[in-house]
Amino acid sequence: MGAKRILVVGASTRWGSELVRALRDRDGVGEVVGLDASPPGANLGDTRFVEADIRDPSISRLLPSLEPDVVVHCGIVWYPEKGRPSRALHDINVIGTLQLLAACEKMDRLEALIVRGSAAIYGSGPGAPAFFTEDMAGRLPLETRFQRDIGELEGYFENFARRHPEVKCCMLRFQLEVGPGMDNAFIRYLNLPVVPTRLGYDPRLQLLHADDATGALAAATLNPVPGAVNVAPDGAISLSRLLRLCGRPAVGFPPVLSGLVNRRVGDYVGSADLYRDGELLFRYGRGCDNRRLREEVGYELAFDSEGTARDFARSARRLPELFAAPHPGSPVRSVSR
Amino acid sequence: MNAAPTPDAEAVIEWASRVQSTSDKILRRLTGEYHEDEWGFDEEFTEAVFPLFEFLYSTWWRVRAEGVGNVPGHGRVLLAANHSGAIFPFDAAMIATAIQKQHPLPRWVRSMILNWALDLPFLSYVMRRLGGVAANSANLRRLLEEDQPVMAFPEGTRAFGKPFNERYRLQRFGRGGFVEVALETGSPIVPVAVVGAEEIYPKLGEAGPLGRLVGSPHLPLTPTFPWLGPLGLLPLPSRWRIEFLEPIDLSGYGPGASRDRALVFDITEQVREHIQEALYRGLVERGPAFG
Repeated sequence: MGAKRILVVGASTRWGSELVRALRDRDGVGEVVGLDASPPGANLGDTRFVEADIRDPSISRLLPSLEPDVVVHCGIVWYPEKGRPSRALHDINVIGTLQLLAACEKMDRLEALIVRGSAAIYGSGPGAPAFFTEDMAGRLPLETRFQRDIGELEGYFENFARRHPEVKCCMLRFQLEVGPGMDNAFIRYLNLPVVPTRLGYDPRLQLLHADDATGALAAATLNPVPGAVNVAPDGAISLSRLLRLCGRPAVGFPPVLSGLVNRRVGDYVGSADLYRDGELLFRYGRGCDNRRLREEVGYELAFDSEGTARDFARSARRLPELFAAPHPGSPVRSVSR
Repeated sequence: MNAAPTPDAEAVIEWASRVQSTSDKILRRLTGEYHEDEWGFDEEFTEAVFPLFEFLYSTWWRVRAEGVGNVPGHGRVLLAANHSGAIFPFDAAMIATAIQKQHPLPRWVRSMILNWALDLPFLSYVMRRLGGVAANSANLRRLLEEDQPVMAFPEGTRAFGKPFNERYRLQRFGRGGFVEVALETGSPIVPVAVVGAEEIYPKLGEAGPLGRLVGSPHLPLTPTFPWLGPLGLLPLPSRWRIEFLEPIDLSGYGPGASRDRALVFDITEQVREHIQEALYRGLVERGPAFG
């Protein structure tokens, strides 16, 4: 096997750029080609960059001419942002992926196709398994627009995988990524001075460290396994404990009020209509099993959920340690000895 | 001047240090410095609540536990018990307390909780911190594979909301999903018969529409609830008897046996009969519920 040519679609997204940087000096990587609708903000060095929009049908002619061995699709967008409502996400996520798959049909050298998808496909619910395994997609109904989009594109992807058994098709289902210096709607939510939560609920969350998110994506690119793979950390942490570690006061809102608050907060953190996914997730939480990632892809995670929370808390703590726990040698206790 | 501290002074110091350690603990919890496991079980929280359960166990319900030694001290085990309670699942709490108080090698038992109960505000996360997990075979399998002790109530909702005149009559045991998982994982099943929990909230009727309004499929009417308001939530002080029966060893069947429907139904029925017999026996031995 010679050095491979890897095409990273969505190279201007955070995860696309990080993947390009992570792959550059790896063994077995010949050339990395980046592709996106707009030039990358991050410095990708001398990586070849092609400017094209996957929503444009012309890519079915353009992409095969690049002759990639591996295609990594990092262009799936999780959060609606200002000026990019959830309706536009459908075009990017579903129509874009469909066009990309159509282009992949015409690539003769293609060995592997990796899609950076989302664990949102599992949904959230009170009776859900505490750790979804890869075969449990579709156990809960797809309720939100984003979930339906992910479900639809996974459907197209599976279809493609069935018709092309010679191509290793790997669907990565990512849990929430959190890391110091990251910026997205969830991070902005955690960084609110007072964090609104749903009164009476305390979801169990899995926080994937940004370093692991990139590391796992790179590992799966170099060692793709057919089928779906959860990219989730070990363990879980409840939202209340996460907020306490970050030193953020939380206020619980009862049902009707929380709907109004969520809308305002959604506007504020920039996720337009803080969409149903967030509402369900912050009520019931979600956990995923990561055995396939560790055993088959062979990626060793550096952080568990708690480790990620602590790493994030270190960077997020703006106030001095106001409520720091007193250390063991405090006066009253020494008297009693 | 340098006299040894008088007993009074010692008591003050003792008291002060207790205040100190409690406030340390509260501050520690407020800063998130505590442990939760991957299921959301919080041992420190459970230990903090435990004195309440101990009080209910020893004083309020005067529980007598038999055969606690039938629960293995280590490794996977599935406890299958009859269910009742109508308002709060105190039977689960008392089974866990019996193991904590009377087992030579006590362990915290995880319990399988019905979906709708995990949708209730506040209660849902309190139960999770106490070791509650959504009742489904995926969770049961994973817990048993982790060699945890798990308790399940195979009758489910049917028993939890049954009227007072059907007390101690076991309902259908679902589809035997718990036996399937026990066969797959080679876990012994310990049947548990709880006598006494049926009298704590004698259910006379049902206010279904009102229940749906607050998001619960059941809203029981008891002699005290909801007439006395929150006071009606106080369980009646019946006398309890919990019997842990001989474990049913399933390791001999091999993991493939879980696909044998007939075998699964056989074992399910066997567990059900053991519990039903023990319930009748227990009712006689316990005598009158009150007094």
